[in-house]
Amino acid sequence: MSRRTRVALKGAVRPPENESAFLLDPHRRGLPGRERMRRYGDSEPVDMVIVGAGAGGATLAQRLARRGWRIVVLEAGPFWDPDSDWVSDEAGAHDLYWTEPRVIGGEDPVELGKNNCGRGVGGSMVHYAGYTPRFHPSDFEVLSRDGVGADWPIAYAQLRPHYERLERELPVAGEWWPWGDPHGYPHAPHPVGGGALSAMEGARRCGIRMRVGPVGITNGSFGNRPHCIYRGLCLQGCKVGAKASPLVTHIPDALEHGVEIRSGCMVTRIEIDAGGRCTGVSYRHEERERFQRADTVAVAGYSIETPRLLLHSTSARFPAGLGNDNDLVGRGIMVQGAPQVAGRFEQEMRMYKAPPPEISSEQFYETDPERDFARGFSIQTVGPLPIGWAEHVLADGHWGQALREYVRDYNHWYTLGVLCELLPRPENRVTLAEERDRHGMPVARLDYTQCDNDRANIAYAKRKLSEIISAAGAQDVLAIDRYAHLVGGCAMSDSPDSGVVDSDHRAWGVPNLFVADGSVMPTQGSANPALTIMALSSRLAERLGAKRVHTSRRPARPLASSAPAPA
Amino acid sequence: MPPVRSSAEHLPQRRADSGLPGPPPELPRQRRGVTPQMRGRYPDYDVLSEAQHWDSVTRELVLDRVRKVPPIRFFDDAEAAALRAFCDVVTAQDSEPRIPVLEMVDAKFHAGKLDGFRYEDLPEDPQTWRAVAASLDRTAERAGHSSFAEAPVEERRAIVARFARGELDWEIPVQRAWTVVMRAVLSAFYSHPWAWNEIGFGGPAYPRGYARLGAGQREQWEAPPEFSRDPVGDVRERGLE
Repeated sequence: MSRRTRVALKGAVRPPENESAFLLDPHRRGLPGRERMRRYGDSEPVDMVIVGAGAGGATLAQRLARRGWRIVVLEAGPFWDPDSDWVSDEAGAHDLYWTEPRVIGGEDPVELGKNNCGRGVGGSMVHYAGYTPRFHPSDFEVLSRDGVGADWPIAYAQLRPHYERLERELPVAGEWWPWGDPHGYPHAPHPVGGGALSAMEGARRCGIRMRVGPVGITNGSFGNRPHCIYRGLCLQGCKVGAKASPLVTHIPDALEHGVEIRSGCMVTRIEIDAGGRCTGVSYRHEERERFQRADTVAVAGYSIETPRLLLHSTSARFPAGLGNDNDLVGRGIMVQGAPQVAGRFEQEMRMYKAPPPEISSEQFYETDPERDFARGFSIQTVGPLPIGWAEHVLADGHWGQALREYVRDYNHWYTLGVLCELLPRPENRVTLAEERDRHGMPVARLDYTQCDNDRANIAYAKRKLSEIISAAGAQDVLAIDRYAHLVGGCAMSDSPDSGVVDSDHRAWGVPNLFVADGSVMPTQGSANPALTIMALSSRLAERLGAKRVHTSRRPARPLASSAPAPA
Repeated sequence: MPPVRSSAEHLPQRRADSGLPGPPPELPRQRRGVTPQMRGRYPDYDVLSEAQHWDSVTRELVLDRVRKVPPIRFFDDAEAAALRAFCDVVTAQDSEPRIPVLEMVDAKFHAGKLDGFRYEDLPEDPQTWRAVAASLDRTAERAGHSSFAEAPVEERRAIVARFARGELDWEIPVQRAWTVVMRAVLSAFYSHPWAWNEIGFGGPAYPRGYARLGAGQREQWEAPPEFSRDPVGDVRERGLE
């Protein structure tokens, strides 16, 4: 579609082959399709069982169900009814996060839970901020261009049609996007708060362009999806239904096309037959051990649970776990460095209003030879609520009276953050710990250590943020370090020596096992991952649906262990 | 008073408090509603008077934080005494009314709720809290006091200051234990509507939302501050850290 046509149709384009927004009930937030959901028996053969109902799993289910696939999605968490299960409250959002035991280690451990891990139908997108930028074309060839990280076995051009389609399905609101592959958005940009306006002005004075958006939040008429009410609790689950998550963007249409979403089901093993094919998955439901038979298995449990499940699915044929013949499962986990800088303004900014994702810049996204590190970062807004603000103050080193005094000053502060592209490193990995969870399954352990490039990137980005916030007229500044997001761990690759899945997301060595979530990303860019996770699943579904992926035979290339040694 | 310009690099470094630092002397007494210690920047603002406009699930959850203070069930008496004194120091709650931080933390552990991770060299959060309680007592005892809770307030503050800086020689990694206990303390304290009154937070806004997003703008039910001293300069000038 040309830019002119797209601008003319702004807000009016109905997404193709996804009726989700029109299948919602305007008077309640629970999904009407849930009561008449198709149910399958455990022994009833289905075409695919998907583990996880988040961005990857739900998109895959919706797409394939439209092509007639019989699909069961097993989700460890609940099937949310936002009216009764969610609250407009920061601490009350605790149940939205993955809070089962996990161990973190390494020199720069990554805190999990509310920071980056979801649970329940809709997955982490239920509590993501709402930013939905695309990756840049350069992200798919980082090794070739910049000599760091890895190249993807697919190119930007292969995801582009899926980005465009998803931006209409979410739908995404924002200004014309000048970075990466320049593009527009179906919905107009949202209004922004006083803090964001000041930050934009500060950025302008520093020669930095900021844009409003892109956010997956309706800004205008879109089926039965309500308009945003700017209550600021995007990270606590959008009770309104304005913010995109699979619960409102893909699950309704999936249910309509016969998908069963079986919630409260913790998958513990992928089962394999003597020939090395998956036969289905074992899972725990209400304290009972069950087995769902399926022709194909797609794992979409995200960067920690997906490797954990593959590693735990050992057998005589796969003693180290599925897809793990080369000890690559769980490796290359990435988080983004996400320091935050808060500025104090004379006027009240009341940063709890308006969605936390307001404005953004990708001016520093690409490698710049003037800097002493490869790749870059994006700049975004964050709108911490009181607990988040107190954590920011504490991280700067204040407690007692000083803490109280800074937090009492809450309404005068505004906060900017960055997302730094940290590089994939094999030693940053998920392994199985000694201890076991309540299902008897070993818990995941995540080790994380930054490299010099990572530290240089974070330090530089933090200085830029301080410049912007000072130029915006901030009287004082509080700067802290933190992480955001989580991808990698089952990288896609063009050879089994360098990754876990092929370019069709199929595990090397297991013809009917797929990984359909953020764990397949070989690199992460400095964009928020949600839209790209959905786009990857959308592309996979297109290829599976068009039978361009064969699930009956092994991948064309042999396993490294049986391949002749390279010359 | 003119605001002080400074950068993060020049923020006051933590140091052991001496004396009894209090809130800024000009901070008004709360006239409507309740704040911890009845001081706040918004003396005529009571977020609870807006509760009728919140959705019922949120309303019950938030009101229960005020109405239903749970008993201590997870920690034993000695642990509770040490941890109560600790929570008072780190949240500067030196008089009533207090936000029941320890009760809220205890209820979370009693219900078996975790946050989704633990550091490799620390036990799960509830056991880390217990280890901190025992370690606080042992540290106070080595300084000649019968327990942390029985030590004079200056001594308690001095111990906490060393805890915050990771300077104590405990069996558990001190710096990480500090982040674990403070995460739960802050989550409890700033989820309480009395704290929202103190800081002028608008509170839950569903289904009504916010309409006035601009700098210096307020919803008609939000209150103006009566005190707006820049805390960075104030904290430094009054030697609070």
